[in-house]
Amino acid sequence: MPAQPESPRQDGISATAVSRSFGQVHAVEHMDFHAPAGKVTALIGPNGAGKTTLLLMLASLLAPDSGTITVDGLDPHHHRAEVRKRIGWMPDTLGVWESLTAREILTQIARFYQLPKAGIPQRVTEMLDRVRLSDLADQPARVLSRGQQQRLSLARALIHDPSVLLLDEPASGLDPGSRVELRVMLRQLAAEGKSIVVSSHVLSELDEIADAAVFVNRGKTVRHQTTDEAAASGRRYAISATDGAALAAKLTQLGLAFRVEDGRRPAVSLVLLNDDDAARLLGDLVLAGVGVSSFAPASGALEETYMNLEGERR
Amino acid sequence: MSQQTDTTQHLPASGFGAGYLAGIRDVVVLELKQRLRSRGWYIMLAIWFILTGLVTWLTWASWDAQREAQSAYSNVLPADAGPGSMIFEVVLAFVLLFALLVAPALSANAVNGDRAAGTLAILQVTLLRPGQILWGKFFAAWAAALAFLVASTPFLVIGVALGGMTPGHVLVALLMLAVEVGVVCAIGVGISALAGRPLFSIVVTYLAVAGLVFGSLIAFALGTGLSQGTIMANQAQYRNYEPLQPVPDETVPEEPEYTCSGPLRAQPAVRTERVAWMLAMNPYVVVADAIPYTVRVNNRFGLSSPVGAIESISQGARYAMAGPEGTYPCANGKAQPRYLAQSTPLWPLGLGLQLLLAGLLMWLGWRSLRTPAHRLARGTRIA
Repeated sequence: MPAQPESPRQDGISATAVSRSFGQVHAVEHMDFHAPAGKVTALIGPNGAGKTTLLLMLASLLAPDSGTITVDGLDPHHHRAEVRKRIGWMPDTLGVWESLTAREILTQIARFYQLPKAGIPQRVTEMLDRVRLSDLADQPARVLSRGQQQRLSLARALIHDPSVLLLDEPASGLDPGSRVELRVMLRQLAAEGKSIVVSSHVLSELDEIADAAVFVNRGKTVRHQTTDEAAASGRRYAISATDGAALAAKLTQLGLAFRVEDGRRPAVSLVLLNDDDAARLLGDLVLAGVGVSSFAPASGALEETYMNLEGERR
Repeated sequence: MSQQTDTTQHLPASGFGAGYLAGIRDVVVLELKQRLRSRGWYIMLAIWFILTGLVTWLTWASWDAQREAQSAYSNVLPADAGPGSMIFEVVLAFVLLFALLVAPALSANAVNGDRAAGTLAILQVTLLRPGQILWGKFFAAWAAALAFLVASTPFLVIGVALGGMTPGHVLVALLMLAVEVGVVCAIGVGISALAGRPLFSIVVTYLAVAGLVFGSLIAFALGTGLSQGTIMANQAQYRNYEPLQPVPDETVPEEPEYTCSGPLRAQPAVRTERVAWMLAMNPYVVVADAIPYTVRVNNRFGLSSPVGAIESISQGARYAMAGPEGTYPCANGKAQPRYLAQSTPLWPLGLGLQLLLAGLLMWLGWRSLRTPAHRLARGTRIA
């Protein structure tokens, strides 16, 4: 007798040593992944690293060749319905039924999740409000822009109030305003105790959203890192000054290794360990009379790790 | 008391059944909403209606012209039952032809079309079971195809109204057409779940339909060549032709027309009954064989040949099914009826085989829709 689904542990979603190959291609090999409840976990990796395959397995659409997946402690194979109720999945392909309206799509999905019929219209209206599609609720989905369809897709993934949310590239195609909204919404959902998995390429975004990141490459988990850890391992700053020579001279005098960037504007970049270091350096430069015109992180903390991994790969 | 216990005991099972059906209904609603909003469907329906109307009118006009020509050049007016039977048969054949052509278009991209649009995985990730998705797609495709039959009903009714046919004919014909369309839809939906690309599955479904319509004939024809055998029969002694003798009773079939005598001898014969099942799978045979017709009696000229296409097809197929044992003159020393009664219908066999094929494809399709998926077709992404 398998474990009672009535008393689930709220421990998010995890995969242990999962492998999946398609013919000769080993899409995922012995990958470990854990997304705890109440946290946003980023899934980061280059194209073809196995992110989508992993998400499909987590969404219980694809069976792993080996390894196990548990959702709130439940095995998708034995507790199919229980697991499905707990998972909200937003695919990277925007599957919308073009001739249906946003309201109809959400209503249909709610019915497929067997939500109580009486509550469906209200729940749908609520979700449409949440993703700001109320004005377009009764328009056919084909007139929605990509970003709006993306938001509809998110509403669809959330309609049955899942405890695990799997988002495959949720930010692609969103305008900056919607990105900020998405970020706020995901933080809210995490605060409600949901475990959220986000795969994305927009790494600077993930810095703001994610509590932790899992880096995958070539079907393997390369590194698991919290955002704080990533920040602590140093970050590249870009500095530009009105007088580039003076800046270079001062940095050399301070004994710091730096790199001249060949961007549009003359700038140098260097790795600083933490925010205190950055504050101290900026103070030194200003006191030395170097006309600093910009001083900012060149990349996000996760991006730094990602680029380092990319470097290791080559 | 006992009734109450019964209900409580049966609640879980019936609850599951109702839930399962509700899921199918939801999928059907989703599919039909989309179909009802696509203009192509209405355009096809309008073209269908106009074409069927045109065929009906042309059939009627040609019958009328023939009749006029006959009355102009000879004094003998055939005591015909009117154009009803002819219109009915032509329209029926036409409607079946076009139904077989339309049904694959409506069904054969049901699953992989969704897969290509990325909407299949969205259904699969919900609580819907693979069977519910597949049945929902099937019923939606069938319903869409049935609309075409409904559009052609007026013309079949005209066939009745003009005489010679009963409403029962129309009812049976429509029922059989609906079943045949359903078989094609099931084949289409099953193939669409198996094939990766919509174009491929539509072509394969058309080929399957062509296989049923033409392939069954070709296979039967080739098969008969391989079914040579022998039959024990003796000599048939035909009655003398006596044209001037009045037929005593017109309502009693004067069969057989010969008597059998002499020793039984092995005679070469084609054992058509071995390959007749292929003929039975032909949708035209199934429909024609299921439609009732009154057993003809000898007419004034002493002949009892089938009248009309439906009857001819049905009789031909039954002839093949009966094989030489039932049709060869004096097989086993017995005289054979020239006309095979409808008490041994052929269509259940044909329909059964068709349902077997459709069921097999639906089952394979269901297997490919199960999640978590173990095997994927080469080059398909599940999302």
